[in-house]
Amino acid sequence: MSAPGAAIDVRSDVPPVQVEDVTVRFGAITALSGVSFTVEPGTIHAIIGPNGAGKSTMFNVLSGVYKAAEGQVRFGEHRLDRMRPYKIAGIGVARAFQNIALSAGQSVAENLMLGRHHLTKAGFIAAGLRLPLATREGKLHGARVAEIADFLELGEKLHTPVGVLSYGDQKRVEVARALCTEPRLLLLDEPVAGMNAEETHRMAEAILEIRAGLGISVILVEHDMGMVMSLADRVTVLDFGRRIADGTPAEVQRDPEVIRAYLGSGDEIDPSEAAEAAAAGASSSETPGMPS
Amino acid sequence: MSESTLTEAPGAHPSGVGRPAPAGRRRSWLRPLLLVLGLVVMLALPLYVEEFWLRTGFAAAGAIVGAIGLNLLVGTSGQLSLAHAFFLAVGAVSYVYVSGEPGGLGVAELGGLGLPPIIGMIVGVLLAGLAGLLFSPLAARLRGIYLGVASLALVFIGVHVLNSWTEVTGGFNGRSAPEFSLFGFTFGNRDPELYVLEVPFREAERLWYLGLVLALAAYLFARNILRSRPGRALQTLRDSEVAASVMGVNVQGYKARIFLVSSMYAGLAGVMYALSIGSIAPESFGLELSILYLAMIVLGGLGSVNGAVLGAIFVSALPLVFQRYADLIPFVGGGGLAAGEAARFLFGAAIVLVILFEPAGLAGIANRIAGRFRRPGGRVTEHPPDTPTRTSEPSPSDPPAQGSTT
Repeated sequence: MSAPGAAIDVRSDVPPVQVEDVTVRFGAITALSGVSFTVEPGTIHAIIGPNGAGKSTMFNVLSGVYKAAEGQVRFGEHRLDRMRPYKIAGIGVARAFQNIALSAGQSVAENLMLGRHHLTKAGFIAAGLRLPLATREGKLHGARVAEIADFLELGEKLHTPVGVLSYGDQKRVEVARALCTEPRLLLLDEPVAGMNAEETHRMAEAILEIRAGLGISVILVEHDMGMVMSLADRVTVLDFGRRIADGTPAEVQRDPEVIRAYLGSGDEIDPSEAAEAAAAGASSSETPGMPS
Repeated sequence: MSESTLTEAPGAHPSGVGRPAPAGRRRSWLRPLLLVLGLVVMLALPLYVEEFWLRTGFAAAGAIVGAIGLNLLVGTSGQLSLAHAFFLAVGAVSYVYVSGEPGGLGVAELGGLGLPPIIGMIVGVLLAGLAGLLFSPLAARLRGIYLGVASLALVFIGVHVLNSWTEVTGGFNGRSAPEFSLFGFTFGNRDPELYVLEVPFREAERLWYLGLVLALAAYLFARNILRSRPGRALQTLRDSEVAASVMGVNVQGYKARIFLVSSMYAGLAGVMYALSIGSIAPESFGLELSILYLAMIVLGGLGSVNGAVLGAIFVSALPLVFQRYADLIPFVGGGGLAAGEAARFLFGAAIVLVILFEPAGLAGIANRIAGRFRRPGGRVTEHPPDTPTRTSEPSPSDPPAQGSTT
């Protein structure tokens, strides 16, 4: 399962993510039951499925927000299922939220600087007294933050409060903030939901470039089938908390289980979804070109 | 997509270091000028202003310290606390006990360590902080109104202890607070006698400067925190605990630490309160004081240090001013309302007005006024919506604007 088109320099310290038999229950409801998959280093791995399939639950397990009742999640030598969220961030797992979870009153730069939290040290005393440690740190990391903002076309808006930005810009700030943690594994929860075609296209390019430039792994939850099929190296399909398929985009698209989950069985076919699934194959031809 | 590509190196890249904030820095001389001017006025005030205003000023300075501390906790971090009066009491009692002389007062036999007042002040701040730290595990588990109710318990415990631990607190009658002094210089009426430009500098004048220094230090410390790493972490955990923890913030740890910092602020405010009144008494540290502090930060503007300052001045000075000018203000004094009551009615009305019309509080109003002055030729934040970014205003050392290259 090599990446489409380009040979990628995978960062040497990016281990695989191994999800093994993960089960999550909320009371009597089983949100995930015995889900397993592996994310190879430096790949873009998509998790797809109908609404309520358990995609976001999976993300919450990966980032430590939910605890798995059974099973384990390995990231190299780390057991993500046993770690608290902030420790998981500390070992290089970053997440961009689906529902934008930024501080609206703060500027883009301040939101992005939060991503540097685990890379910086200044505490209350150093910050309150403006000790050299704090000011030096601020300058140094401010520079990297500006760079990442430029990369996601947010450079002009660094000092604008996030609350007044457009929806598409806010989604990009989410991704930029996750990138600011210098992750080895990037979790993107519907990064293009609600974006128009042009914005979606640019975000897809950015994701490819992130993987190419940084050599990290990306796990993507996304509803936009065209985007998933063109970006992902591998796709895991969930339905009602179970894994129903796992393979390359082409394999998954042919899988009868997947077709049944998306199109329904018998005569209750929703024409718009059928069209979307059909378009999914076609749209992989418009894979965004890699910038020079 | 953009011209810059992302590479691995997380180190310093000179490209971004000197980047100016887009616009708005041009009139940067105006702010320092105003600040210096304000400071000079503050410093010269004791030469011209009568004692009443200086005493009110010191009381306000104490309230400012306390309100900044509470605002860090409630406004910035979103943890509702009604226990502020308790932490003020811890600071005040510690100061009075550590620096007070042992002796009898009427029926009560009072203890006291008789240490220098500066030690008493430091111990007061530290013990208040310790009390906050001990309470913080509870704070980390409760949220919103539940935390408020739990913290309420501390106030009642505090008042009970103040009433019954007579040896330390002076009991029901309270006890007097020792004068503050620093390296032999007393913040009292003499010792040494002091004249500046033939104006006698007595207790009120000296305390004014003490209040100025402490309030300024408290203000700067809080501003610096809010503008850097811990402040960002706190504001994010207020907005979304999940987001903060996923971004690497130890939410429990930060909640505990901000409780510590906030109660240390309260401890200092308590010491200043004792100095301002000249004594402590149980009824001063009841629920009403906690509510007044909440009123300060709501009126001033939640989460804003400037707001805490404005709110503290308003709430702490108003009853005193009413009292003094009772005969000039209709319905107050004589057959009308007592000054304190009138002030409370006004706070109530002011809070309702603020919540209805300006949720950002006095700080929001101040910002708006400042914005009106800035508007002509000043900071431009909005770009015309449909203009591509590459034609945005030219600022000297801006990197080339990013257009799409693909």
